[in-house]
Order: sequence, then structure tokens, then C-alpha cells
Amino acid sequence: MRLRLEKRPSPSQFMLFATPLMAVALTMVIGGFVFTLIGFDGFGAVREIFFTPLMNPLKWQDLAVKATPLVIIAVGLSIGYRANVWNIGAEGQYVLGGLSATGIVLLTQDMSGPWILPLMAVAGIAGGMAWVAVPAWLRTRYKVNEILTTLMLTYVSVNLLNYLVFGPWKSPRAFGQPQTIAFSADQSLPYIIPGTIVQLGAPIAVIIALVAWFVMSRSLFGYQVRTVGAAPYAARHGGFSANQTIWVSLLVGGGLAGLAGMLEAAGPFGRMVPQFPTGYGFTAIIVAFLGRLNPIGILIAGIVLAITFVGGEVAQTTIAFPYPAVGIFQSMMLFFLLAGDVLVRYRVRIGNRASAGDSTSEASA
Amino acid sequence: MSDGAPNRLELSGIVKRFPGVLANDRVSFAVRPGQIHALLGENGAGKSTLVKMIYGIMQPDAGEMRWDGEPVTVSNPKAARRLGIGMVFQHFSLFEALTVFENIALGMDASIPARDLESRIRDVMKTYGLTLDPHRQVTTLSVGERQRIEIVRALLLNPRLLIMDEPTSVLTPQEVEQLFVVLRQLAAEGCSILYISHKLHEIKALCDEATILRGGRVVDTCDPKAETSRSMAEKMIGAGLKVISKPAGREKGRERLVVQHLSIPAIGPFGVSLKDISFAVHAGEVFGIAGVAGNGQNALLLALSGEEVAGESDMIVLDDMPIARLKARARRLKGMASVPEERNGHAAVPDFTLADNSVLTARDRIGMVISGLIRPRMATSYTGRVIDTFAVKTTGTKSTAGSLSGGNLQKYIMGREILQNPGVLVVSQPTWGVDAGAAAAIHQAIIDLAEAGSAIVVISQDLDELLSLCDTLAVINEGRLSRPMAVKGADIEEIGLLMGGIHGDPKATETVHVHPENVHAPAP
Repeated sequence: MRLRLEKRPSPSQFMLFATPLMAVALTMVIGGFVFTLIGFDGFGAVREIFFTPLMNPLKWQDLAVKATPLVIIAVGLSIGYRANVWNIGAEGQYVLGGLSATGIVLLTQDMSGPWILPLMAVAGIAGGMAWVAVPAWLRTRYKVNEILTTLMLTYVSVNLLNYLVFGPWKSPRAFGQPQTIAFSADQSLPYIIPGTIVQLGAPIAVIIALVAWFVMSRSLFGYQVRTVGAAPYAARHGGFSANQTIWVSLLVGGGLAGLAGMLEAAGPFGRMVPQFPTGYGFTAIIVAFLGRLNPIGILIAGIVLAITFVGGEVAQTTIAFPYPAVGIFQSMMLFFLLAGDVLVRYRVRIGNRASAGDSTSEASA
Repeated sequence: MSDGAPNRLELSGIVKRFPGVLANDRVSFAVRPGQIHALLGENGAGKSTLVKMIYGIMQPDAGEMRWDGEPVTVSNPKAARRLGIGMVFQHFSLFEALTVFENIALGMDASIPARDLESRIRDVMKTYGLTLDPHRQVTTLSVGERQRIEIVRALLLNPRLLIMDEPTSVLTPQEVEQLFVVLRQLAAEGCSILYISHKLHEIKALCDEATILRGGRVVDTCDPKAETSRSMAEKMIGAGLKVISKPAGREKGRERLVVQHLSIPAIGPFGVSLKDISFAVHAGEVFGIAGVAGNGQNALLLALSGEEVAGESDMIVLDDMPIARLKARARRLKGMASVPEERNGHAAVPDFTLADNSVLTARDRIGMVISGLIRPRMATSYTGRVIDTFAVKTTGTKSTAGSLSGGNLQKYIMGREILQNPGVLVVSQPTWGVDAGAAAAIHQAIIDLAEAGSAIVVISQDLDELLSLCDTLAVINEGRLSRPMAVKGADIEEIGLLMGGIHGDPKATETVHVHPENVHAPAP
């Protein structure tokens, strides 16, 4: 008797939706056990991380704040991933988006008007696009693997950020602190729900997800991206250019990461600081996969990951659970999801020759 | 039968099941020592599955296998080789960048000092007249020579049963003859041969006994020399053969596709460059391009379809429009349709539904896209029309392309292109891996499209197919195309020589001039 994998005639639609849920459930169970074994209150942590943020309405606004950049970045990444273009440096594009927006802030210090915020958004998108254009050019011109180039440029972006906030962009009134001046009201996102910390970014994230869903499922561009990802030779046969697809999908991903950076800078941060890169660009990779590269799924997955961020802070204060361990829970989710993917294409059979009996009986029937 | 000696190999009641298919259903037959035994059947009849079990690549779900009268279980290919079973696969497993000798040495189970191995290789080659330089790089070898490496590799183990899986599908007629000489010599020395094929004339010429498989079952075991090709074909297919109707004496119309002096450099280290290719295809004409695999057929298809764009714009002319600088989509709008050899992943996306696959190539001519948005209803109704017109067996427009059998998928792909009413259709290997029923339907569709005034180019390795389908034929070899010749009265011997790379043979030019009225001179 042993377990055997048997290829399904066609991928299971049920498993496609069930495996993300299974991944979350397995993360809770295994994570709870592991942390109990090493001496923490493992299941207490699971409760605080995964359930408290949902049960406590006061925490819901925090979820919206955390989910916003995750959803925006993940939607952009998912388009590239559908085309087999692996931008894993969204963190760097996010930083560049924030820096570009900050640049506009510094240029418009003594000005006012409703035009400043849209200009910052355009600059943020352009900054993210410019940062990803380098890997796009290297990939299409010299076939350089974009996984490496996008990741490496992330480190460059962090150093650029540090140079600017420690150097030329340092606020003269900050008593030597490495930070820029605070953004003015015209340079910051408005609050959309009075009495909460929910800003304009949240509805923008929802709109982006809906638009992306429509484009990916109904437009020829979405079809092109899916075809290039599923069968590159067939895409060429159908007249779709692989290089064009790489360019567009990377620019969209970089642009959205840049927009997320602008929304964070002009929102929760309110000024540029060395702590600006919080890892949203990397966590968004998990969000994209947990959401099955589907913009609507990403909206839900973004909230799930936001729960773990908010819950991690809760667990830190209530049961002194170390905050970095949240990253372990998040990584386990991606791990179980990718491992569970085998169930989409295969089914598990128990026993060595389960099918031998069937066939002989059928043969003699 | 042979003086009470036990059968070399005897199968009884072999069953093998895959999800959704019964690939082998209680298959029983025996191979005597020194016998050349044919395993005959259509694609999908279960031949390959059966030999994979004999060679230990798969295990049967039920049934017994006897070797020299003793029951055996062959758990893996190594065990099969230890018993004395050798196999030459249809698709070779050779490293192109290594030499003949290195390839053979890598495939040996036991490690033998290089010098001993080389002398044994030379012995085997001498004994069977297999000429091959052990130190040549595989890239530089023809397909026939590559097959010889595989044969030498199998013979080094002194096999007592040699399995040959579709060995002639890639050979020229002359190479086939040489192969038969080797196989007959082996059989005379007592080695049994299991010869898998669907080519009836070869089986009649070579084999002592034939086991015919259909739908995974043995339908008959017969003496091929006592049967007619037709009677064996009917057993293999299970019904009377459908003869394609090809109207005689068709009038050729105006030139619809003219290729002149088309040269394209090779793509990739093992690609084939096209050298100065010229031909013209007229309305109503089916133009065949014969040749052994890997001689530039792929590059030619990509160049014609526009998937690779190279050269100057008037090198390819479609209905008097120079199109060589246009990309695939623009060419399709002008009436150029193509069907590449590989169905899954090139002609179609296996994970997409048939309706989505229709969007791939039919979106512009059928109007499936308006202002950047796909109209799913147009795609579905067009796909439904393809399925109905070409009798594609499927559960509907929402089934994935990958779920269709090879023949049905090919019918769908052909239908998808033909219902767009193309001016020129270029098809590569239209019936590769397709069952006979579907093949006949595809051939009929090609003829009907030509009747309707389109110009058709068929690229195929199957010479029989081209001879029955085409009006005109040219041979491609190392990226060069021979002069076109009329199929009526074509000299098979000469075509074989051209396929083997004999150019400028005085006899060849003579043959062309015998039927000057049928020859289309390449356009200037």
C-alpha cells in the first residue's frame, strides 16, 4: 500500500479554488504546532494572527490600509506572471514610485492646488515603470533573466532611497533625522471615511482590481498575455509578439507598484523615511499566487495577508509573539499553496495497483 | 512450430489501462526465434504501449510474458537488455553536440574501456555493413545515419529480440532498403525482430508474420505475404477503406503563391537555413514538399506563415502582393493560412477551450474582436461551425484542445483555417499521428479547398500521402528545394535520391525533362 499520483484528464476546477483555502488552513495547523514545539503559545498566536483582526471591527480599517498596496502591486505582478514574466522586484519599483512622488513634493513645496496629488500619482507610476524598464530592455534585447535583474535593482533602489533621505533630501528642520519634510495637505491623500484612517488608496485598489479583471478576461490584450504564458509558440503562430508582451506586462507591473509606492508615501507615511520599504513588494508575490493570479482572487488574498500583518501586531502586544514570525506564517502559505498545486493536475490514489483491478474486471466484462 | 523450440517471446492476456482508455485489452501473440514479426495497427491502436511493456518502460496491469518459455517480469529497460531485448525508438535519444562514439558509450549499462568499445563498435558495423564514422558529431549526420547509431547501440548487446518502432517513417526509400538488408541478416542469424509499422507494403516485403491491433485488441494474426495490402488495411481500420475523391484533369488557375529566391539564415545552433527556394502554386493546385525530417521544413513553414520574418518583401508574393516583410497577423488578413506540424502548443493552446483557440488565428477574418474586446459569442458560433462541418468529436466548444485526440484536434485545426476561406493554405504533416478515418477526412478537406480555388502547400515526410494528394511535388534537402515535378509520372527512385541529398544527378534532370508540360519552372 502506498500513495500514488495519477494525472487527471483535465485540471480540476474544484482544486483550483480549494487549494488556496487548504494552504491557509494547513498554515494555521502546522504553524501552530511548530511554534508550540519551540516553546511559544503557537495556537494562541494563530488565534491572534488570523482571527482577532477579523473579530474586532476596530481593526478593519487597519486591514484596508495594509491590503491596499498589496492588492495594487499583486494585480500588476499577476499580469506578468500570467505571461510567464517573473518580476520579483516590485519592492524596488514601489520604492521608486515613492521617491518620484517625493520628488514632486519637494518641487511643489510652496505651492497648493488639487493638481499636485494627480501629478504625484503620474510621477509614481512613471518611476516604477522606469525602474522596470531596465530589466525589460535587458530581457528583450539580450535575453537576460528578469528574475535576477528585477531583484537586484531592488537593492539599488534601497540605496538610492538612503542616499536621498540621508543626503540632499534631508529636511533642514528634522534635527539630523534622516527624513524629508512632511507632505502638505495638498500633497497627501484625503481620508474617505470620516473618523477612520482609510484613505483614497483603498477604493483605488478595488477599482484597479475590477478593471484588471475585465481587461484580463475580456480583452484581446488579456488573451495575448494568457497565450504567451501558456504556449509561446502558439502565441507566435497567432501573431502575438513575445517581446511586446514582456514590455507591456512589466511596465504595467512596475507602474502599479510605483503607484502603490506613491499612495503609501502620500498616505500612511506622509514623508519619505528609510523605513519606507516594508516588504509589500515581496508579500504581493504571495498575494498574487494565493489569489490564483486572478484580480478578484487577489482582492481576497490581499485581505488575508493584511490580516496576518495586523494580527502579527496584535500577537506582539497581547502574547509577546515575535513580529518577524509573521513572515514565517506568510511564507508557509505560499509554500503550501505551491505544493498543493499538484492536486490541480493530479489526483492521489491509495494502493499500488488500484487501477489494475478495474481494468481486468472491465476487460473480462 | 520451429522444431519444438520455445517461442522467443510470448505474451498472453496483457492488459494496460490508462485513465479513460483501455490501451491494451488481453493482447496475446508469440514471436519465434529468427522471425520478423510485424505489429501492425493505426496510431492509437496500442502498439507503442505494448512494446513499452515488453521493454520494461511500463508494467502491464494484468497478463503474462514468457521469454524462451519461462515466465518473466521485466521491471525496467535495464532488465530487458539483460534478457537480450534491444529496442530502437522512433524518436532518437542522442546528444547532438557529442560524437557517435560518445553517444554509444553513454548509453552502455556496463562501463567498457574506450578502446575495447570502439573495436566492438567497428566489428558490429563491419558485420552488418553499417557505415558510420564513430568520431563524427551527431549534428552533422542525416536521420538515417542517426538511426544507425541506435541500431549499433542495440546490436552491441547481442540482442535476441530487437524491437523496431516505426523505423522507416523518417527514411528515404533507399535507406529503407539498406535497413531491410540488415534486419534480414539479423533474422537469419536467429535474432527475432518485432517490427512496428503501419506501412503495409513494407510489412509485406519484410515480415514473416503480422499481428494486427485495433483499439487495443488483437484482431488477427496472419501471414502478410499471403494477404493483400487492402485486406490488411481493412483489418487494421475495421471498415472498408474510404477512397478520397480527387477529380482528374483539374484546370490550374492563376499563380496565387510565388516564392522566389527565398534565403533565410538558420535560427539557433541546430536550425536549418533556407537556400534560394523558389516555387509557385496556382489556384486549385496542391503542391507537395517531400523530404526527410530536419531538412528545413520547419523553417519553410515559419517563413511562409510569417512567424519568422526575413528577406526582402518580394521573396514571397501572395496574389500579386509582396508579403515577405509582413508579420503573421498581416499575412493572415491577406489570405495566408498555415497549420504547423506540432498541434499542441504551436497550432493550438492545449489548456485553452476550442472557442478560445479559434480566437488565436481566426479573430481577424471572422470578426471576433471589436475595439480590443473579444466577442465570445462569435468565437463560440464559429467554433461550433468548425466542429459540425469537420465532424470533430468533442463534448463541445468549451472542451480544452488538449482533451481531444490527435486526429480530432487536427480536424479542428484544419477546419479552423479552411472555414476562413484562405487564398493560400500551408500545412505541415497534416496527418501525423492521426487515425486513418481522420486522415481521409483531412485529405478530402484539402482537395475540396483546392477545388474551391485556393492554392495549397503540403509539407510531409510521408511520400505516399504526397503522391496521393498532390498535383506537383518538390523535395527539400538541407534547406534547398528541388525543381518541382508533376506527380503524375513522377519517378519514385529519383524522389528518393533527392530526399537523400543527391543533387545535380544527370538522371534527375533528365526525368524532369521527360514531362516538360507538367513542370512549373520556378518563377524568375
